[in-house]
This record gives sequence, structure tokens and C-alpha cells, in this order.
Amino acid sequence: MAQYTFLLPDVGEGIHEGQLVEWLASAGDTIKEDQPLVRIETDKAVVELPSPVSGKITQLKGEPGEIIHVGDPIAFFEIEGAAPAPSHHHDAPAAQAAPAAPAPQAAAPAAPAHTATLAATPAKRPQDVLATPHTRALARQMGVDITRLQGTGRAGRITDEDIQAAASGQIAAPAPQAAAPVHQQVADQAAQAHTARTPVAAAPPAAANVEVTVHGPVERVPQTFLRRKIAEQMVLSRQQLVHVTHIEEADVTELFKHYDESKKALAKRDIKLTPLPYFIKATIACLKEFPIFNASYDAQKGEILFKKYYNIGIAVDTPEGLVVPVIKDADRKDIVTIAQEIRDLAKRARERTLKIDEMRGGSYTITNIGPVGGVFATPIINYPELAILGLHKIEDRPAVVDGEICVRKRMYLSTSFDHQLIDGADAARFMRTLAEMLAEPAYLFTRF
Amino acid sequence: MVVGNLNASEGCDALVIGAGPGGYVCAIRLAQLGKDVILVDARASLGGVCLNEGCIPSKALIHAAETFEHLQHADSMGIVLEGTARIDMPKLKSWKDSVVKRLTGGVATMEKMNGVRVMQGTARFLGPNQVELMQDGRPIMIDFEQAVIATGTTAIELPFMPFDGEFVIGSREALDLEEVPEKLVVIGGGYIGLELGTAYKKLGADVTVVEMMDQLLGGSLEPEINSLLNKRCKQLGIQVLLQHKAISAKPGKLGEVVVEDKDGKQKTLPANKVLVAVGRRPNTSKLDLATVGLQADAQGFIQVDIERRTAVPHIFAIGDITEQPMLAHKAYREAKVAAEVIAGHPAAYDVRVVPAVMFTDPEIASAGMTEAQAREAGYNVQIGVFPLKASGRAMTLGAPEGLTKVVVDMDSQRLLGVHIAGPQAGELIGEGTLALELDAFIDDIGHTIHAHPTLSEAVLEAAEIALGTCAHFASPKR
Ligand SMILES: Cc1cc2nc3c(=O)[nH]c(=O)nc-3n(C[C@H](O)[C@H](O)[C@H](O)COP(=O)(O)OP(=O)(O)OC[C@H]3O[C@@H](n4cnc5c(N)ncnc54)[C@H](O)[C@@H]3O)c2cc1C
Repeated sequence: MAQYTFLLPDVGEGIHEGQLVEWLASAGDTIKEDQPLVRIETDKAVVELPSPVSGKITQLKGEPGEIIHVGDPIAFFEIEGAAPAPSHHHDAPAAQAAPAAPAPQAAAPAAPAHTATLAATPAKRPQDVLATPHTRALARQMGVDITRLQGTGRAGRITDEDIQAAASGQIAAPAPQAAAPVHQQVADQAAQAHTARTPVAAAPPAAANVEVTVHGPVERVPQTFLRRKIAEQMVLSRQQLVHVTHIEEADVTELFKHYDESKKALAKRDIKLTPLPYFIKATIACLKEFPIFNASYDAQKGEILFKKYYNIGIAVDTPEGLVVPVIKDADRKDIVTIAQEIRDLAKRARERTLKIDEMRGGSYTITNIGPVGGVFATPIINYPELAILGLHKIEDRPAVVDGEICVRKRMYLSTSFDHQLIDGADAARFMRTLAEMLAEPAYLFTRF
Repeated sequence: MVVGNLNASEGCDALVIGAGPGGYVCAIRLAQLGKDVILVDARASLGGVCLNEGCIPSKALIHAAETFEHLQHADSMGIVLEGTARIDMPKLKSWKDSVVKRLTGGVATMEKMNGVRVMQGTARFLGPNQVELMQDGRPIMIDFEQAVIATGTTAIELPFMPFDGEFVIGSREALDLEEVPEKLVVIGGGYIGLELGTAYKKLGADVTVVEMMDQLLGGSLEPEINSLLNKRCKQLGIQVLLQHKAISAKPGKLGEVVVEDKDGKQKTLPANKVLVAVGRRPNTSKLDLATVGLQADAQGFIQVDIERRTAVPHIFAIGDITEQPMLAHKAYREAKVAAEVIAGHPAAYDVRVVPAVMFTDPEIASAGMTEAQAREAGYNVQIGVFPLKASGRAMTLGAPEGLTKVVVDMDSQRLLGVHIAGPQAGELIGEGTLALELDAFIDDIGHTIHAHPTLSEAVLEAAEIALGTCAHFASPKR
């Protein structure tokens, strides 16, 4: 006899918490491997988790209605023989994950020896779900498995908003990603950050326990899912990090001379250019020089995770709220490629048709608030990242150059950083380097 | 190009085999999506069965027959014909042919405009990325990265009375007759047999329809519509022999067909022509599918997934060869899906309803579940049936026979099915199809204004009957 502990596995699509709906077996029951054990509702779907082992259930943890997190022990078994390694969400059975469509394949190998067969059709097909053709197509576009959603519309109809909510569940909090272990641990840690079991009814963490009184006519508008996720992420960041903001000023007169020329050269070739990619390139050069700014912190192990990849999140302002698509491996892309990617991602962010994968995996975030206005700001860090860069308005300002007052293109740069791991002097050095690079294209371009 | 290969050879990104509604649309869409496409078909004119020997020519013939019939009954509206109306079959045929030619020519133009290379010949697979196209006994090799099989179907032959093109004919020959046969026996009471049988009856033939089952049209009809159809067949003078099967034929200028009822009692039917319309079989046996690792099922269908991808990932199949129903508009949708998937876009054949229209008399159309299917599926079913007798528009058309029926889930109020019999049923089903695909509730239809006086009001009325708010017809209390 051996003991086996079942930890709540990652139920797919990077979800790290769910609500216990019901137990499908009781303590004392003898259960077979793959027999249904528990139903869990996530913000995407209700999933049935099968028992990972055959054996006798000694204890079940959690009541229906409770929120449980990925990695929480939820069931204890007595099993025959030696104990297998306890389940862990990295390799746990994927809860009835819908089979992914095979990717298009250019060519098959030479004459096959046997007859190929099709995978069995899943029990529930997209057309069995209550949703219009438009909504079904939207789900495909956004990489959401519509058969796993529960609709909020009349008679359970799935709406466009349901699809967008399912897709944007990950906007604020990046989720575990199989291919990037470092990143994954960090995200796990994000999930651990609120280990206390909170009852579901308690709305966003931001909600204070204060009654809201009204003294005149009001219109009540329910909070959108995206807004709730943004709120959760902001509170989490504020709870976990000690925010300090440092401001620097940069002279970008020379950079813009170069930019204007490049823009003209590219326009002749029908290629559009914006200044943002230059800032991304300069930032990456600085991140390489000051790696702590591209790091995260694993509180459980007490280790700092220096990320060796440069996936730059770009904060995009959309009518529904802030969305942060990510430019993957921006260090390996040229200015034109980055410009094109930003244009495409921002457009789709506003249309809310980004795929989940396009919004996660960031290592550092830039918010380009300048074009909207203001002098400078104190941005909130996209946790579990440790710092964020704000780009502010670029305008002609008087400056002293070689003892003369003249008109220069200048801008403020802000960085919020986590003072637990980064000191003010580090931030000052980081920002000074960045300002120098932006001021001297001849220096900057040597670091591309 | 393979050096040293004596055969001519071609290459493309995507090869489409068969230029019917599935293939010709798929080729155009693939080209629109930037693929280099070759479209091949054994016949010289594009459009497959649908344009050349199916939907289009049959509907031309049916329309002509209907017009002829209307003329004969126009006197009640005060239209007096001096002398008698007469059918000139060769002229009718050349009008029908001109319609077909216009449409097939149009398809050829569209392919050309989109840069699709069209080649005539019969294709078979030589390997996973190559087919051989036989052109007048001369092979051409075509290499492809991805292929779409859209080879359609052929009429099934009865072994004991094979097609001879003269006495025993299929639907293709039935659309090309030089004269109206005096006596026509139709074997098979499916939609193809019944549509053509009705048309020839209206053109003046003596028509007998022989059907093995105990109902016409495969027993798929709503009972209300089935009885309307039977009544109308009787009225037109079409003899319907249910639960009878053909057992032999004796060809001749005036030949005969022997049929047998379920008790084995035989009957001899004199006939100038026998139209055998007992179903269609997928054209998959001559493709050498085994060389790519594919196998058709026992009936010849190729299994596909929701993206219309076969078990071999770079080969797709669409149209009549994938699954029932064998209808052109299903092929159109599958064509778009396959093309988009091949071009790397997310797409799926995830339609909920495929409408079906039978150009019989009355015209019959349906979308979604029948009442019986809905009950079977466990829904708490509510129906609304509106007879065209109560439709002002139907009366002004002189066509008060028909009905509209909606099937509704009482618990959720969702629309589950729409069934229509009567003039323009095929046009009217569009509303039902859209409503079903958009997941409409019955009040979505009931609260939508339908223009007056039109037949489309009959769909509204049926919805209102289901809702209990109809003002134009006193339905039996529910
Ligand atoms: C009398 C009649 C009436 C009909 N009426 C209607 C109607 O009203 N509405 C409706 O929706 N449907 C109707 N249909 C059905 C409709 O015609 C089919 O559903 C439709 O044509 C199917 O399209 P497809 O692309 O699958 O194949 P098809 O139209 O059958 O085309 C397949 C093509 O592939 C070619 N081909 C086959 N094998 C090879 C090969 N090895 N190499 C090269 N080419 C090959 C054939 O020559 C053919 O042109 C009717 C059919 C008939 C017979």
C-alpha cells in the first residue's frame, strides 16, 4: 500500500484556478484510473477531471463552491504497490482537452505502407454549441475551443463576449507555457500568490468591503470580464512588488533625424515605419546590460530568474481596456519587422481577436503613453515582471547645447521598478544608459 | 519537372480533382488565397453534375413543364388561349442547353480570371504527391503539395436492368430526351425520380413511379407534407406504386417493366422509357486511393474531419463524396472550408443545417429537425402549422395548396426546424435556414415584420401559431 496525493492539474489554456462544482466520488470509494472524480469550473468551461490512479479515496479536500488553485492537493488515495510520483500540473492528464487540429502539412512521406485512419470525432462538435456562425468563426480565430465554453446568453447561447472573455482570461496574468520553463515557474508563482481560498462570490480583489451609497440617479453597468482581469492583475502587482518610479529625460533630436530619413526611404518601398521599434531596440540593449530589469522572482525558491529571452509586451489601449500583446524574441527581429508586428497586434487587440498565445510569455513591458498626452506617469509593473518602461510625449523644448539655448526634440522616460530587487541607483543607471542611446543614434545602432 | 521523364508533367501548390460545385469553387477560393492551383475534370465543360446534368438542367425542364401546366389552367383567371399550347421538345432542349452553356462558360471565365489552370482528363493517384491525368490516352503527371478530391457521384445502375441509353436511362439521359415519352416508368421515388417524373407528367407523359419504401422521398417528409404530396400526385394523375420493386425490363419501342409488391405479386408496366433513379455512388473507386494510404468506406465515401481533411493530412475531400446529403450547396461550403484550411486559415465545416429543396409539386423545402427527429432527441416539442389556404398571397397565385411548419423546443423557445410545401418553398426556406444557423428563438421570427402580401408571411404565421399569437388562422387548441 502506498499513499498518493492528487494535486489540481493545469486544466488547460493556462488556467490557474477554478471553482469546485461537485465531487463525482466520495471518500471511502474505490475508484479506477480515468473514472470521473471531480467537476471544476474555470472561467473558460466546466471540466471533468478523471482519477489519476486506481485505488481507495482516503480524503477529498474542498467543498463545492470553493476556489481551488493549480497545484493544490485535492484528493488523497491509498493505492496498490509503489507510489508513483505525485501528480504535478506539468505532466498531469489534460482534462478532456479537445484534440488540436493537425497543422497543415506540406507533403507526406513516400508511398505509405498502410491505410491512414481519422481520429474519432469529439463528442461535442462546434455546430452542436448554441452560437451563431460568426461566433463560431471568432472562436476559431482566437484559438478558443467553443465546445468547452458555457454561454451567458439566452438558453445558454454563447456570445462574442463569452469568446473574448475566454480568450482574454490570460491578458493580464501570463500563464504557464510548456515551452518556457523559466517563465512557467514564475507564472506558477503568480498563481501561488493568492493561495488563501477565497469564496467565489467576493468579486474583484480590489473591491473594498465598503458599501457604495448613491445620492442621485445612477446607471448600473456590470463590470466586464476584461476589466475584472485587469483589476486583479493590478492589485496582484501592487501587493507583490514595491513600486518606485524613476524619471529621466532624453534628447531624441538626432534619432528623429535618422528616423525621418528611414521613414522616407521605406515609404518609397511602401513600408510603414513608426518610432516605437527604435525604443524597443534601445530598451533591449539596456536590458542586456542590466539583466535584472528583464528578470522575475521565484519567492518559493528564493531565486531570481534572469530571462534569456526578450519578449516585449506592448500596452495597447482598447475601448474595453488595457491589453498587452507580446512581440516575441524582439531582440532577433529588425525594426521593420517589429513595426509590422506592432501594427498587426494593435489592430487585432482593438478588434479583440488576439490569440491567447499572443498575449502571454512577455519578459518586459513598454507602455507608450506619450501620443495620448501628459508629462510623465508612474506605470504599474506587469507582474511577475520586475520593471516597466513608460514613453512620454516627444516635443520641441528649449535646451542648452554647447552653452547655447536651442530647440530640441525631447521626452521624458519613466520606469517603475520593484525596489525589493532593484535599487534606485540601478534604475538611474539603466535609464541614463537608455537616454544616452536614444540621444546618440551612432551609439544606439552599434547595439542593434 | 523530372528530367528524363518522357511524360509531360506539371506541378502546383494545390490540385483539385473534379470541377463540380465542390471543385470549381475550391479552386477559385484557393487561387484567391494565393495558391497556385490546377483544376482537373474528365469532362470538357466545368460545373460537374450540377451544371451539366443535375440541378440546373433539371430545374430548367421542371420550370418549362410547370409553365406549360399553368397555361392549361389559366382560363380560370380569364386567360384564354386560342388553340392549344404545345410542347416543342427540341426547342425546349436547346433552351435548356443554352442555360447550361452560359453557366458552365461563366465558371470557366471565373477560373481563368482567378488564374486557375484548368486541365481536362481523368486523374488517378500515383503517389502521395502525384497524380496521373489521362488525356485521350496520353498521360500527364501532375505534382502537388496538397490535393482536394471532389469527384462527385454517378447514378447507380440496377444490375438486372443496366443503363442502355435508349430504353433504360438515368437522370442524365432523361434531361436530354428528343420527345416526351408516351409512357414513362420511374424506378425510385426519391427527389430526382419524383422531380423528373412530375415534369414529364406535366409535359404529357403517362408516369408511374415505383418505390420500394412505403413513402415517397425516403420517408423524410413531415406527415402533413407527405399527405399533400400524395394528394397532388393523384390529382396530377401520377401513378405511385409504393412498396414495389422493379425486377426486370424488356426493352423495346414499347417495352415493359416488371415490378413486384411486398407479397411477391407481380405487375407488368408498359413503358417507352424507364428512368432508373435509385441513388448515386461516390466516384472514388478509380482514384487508386490506396497509393496515398486512403481507403473509401463500403459505400465509396471518403471520411473527412471538420476541416474536410482526410486521414492523410495533405489530402482533402469535399462534396458528394464525403457524406450525405449530396447537395450542391453543401459542396460549396465544404469547398470554402477546405481552401481556407489549406491556405492556413482557421476554418471548419461546422454548419448546423443543410437545407434541402425538392422541386416536386408542391415544391418542398426543409431545414433543421423534423418534428419526429426533435421528439426523438428528447425535446419538449411545440409545432406551428400554417396552411396556405389562409394565405392571401397564395390565393392570388392560384396556389392555395401548401403549408409552413415550424418545430420549436418549448423549454428554451429555440427554433429547431422549418418545413415548407408550396410555391417558392425553396426560396422561403432561406429564412428558416438563416434563423436556425443564427440560433433564433421562435419570437425572433414571430416579432419580425414580414412584408404583405407575400408567401414569406406564412413562415411568420407558423411561428405565431407556435407562440399562440396568430390572428389569421384558428389553429386547433393545444
Ligand atoms: C438530376 C439531378 C438533380 C439534382 N438537383 C439538385 C438540386 O436541385 N439541388 C442540389 O443542391 N443538388 C442537386 N443535385 C445534386 C448535385 O448535382 C450534387 O450534389 C453536386 O453536383 C455535387 O457536387 P460535387 O462537386 O461533389 O461533384 P459533381 O458535381 O458530381 O462533380 C464531380 C466532377 O468530378 C469529375 N470527376 C470524377 N472523377 C474524376 C477523375 N478521376 N478525374 C477527373 N475528374 C473526375 C466528374 O467528371 C464531375 O464533373 C442533383 C443531381 C442530379 C443528378
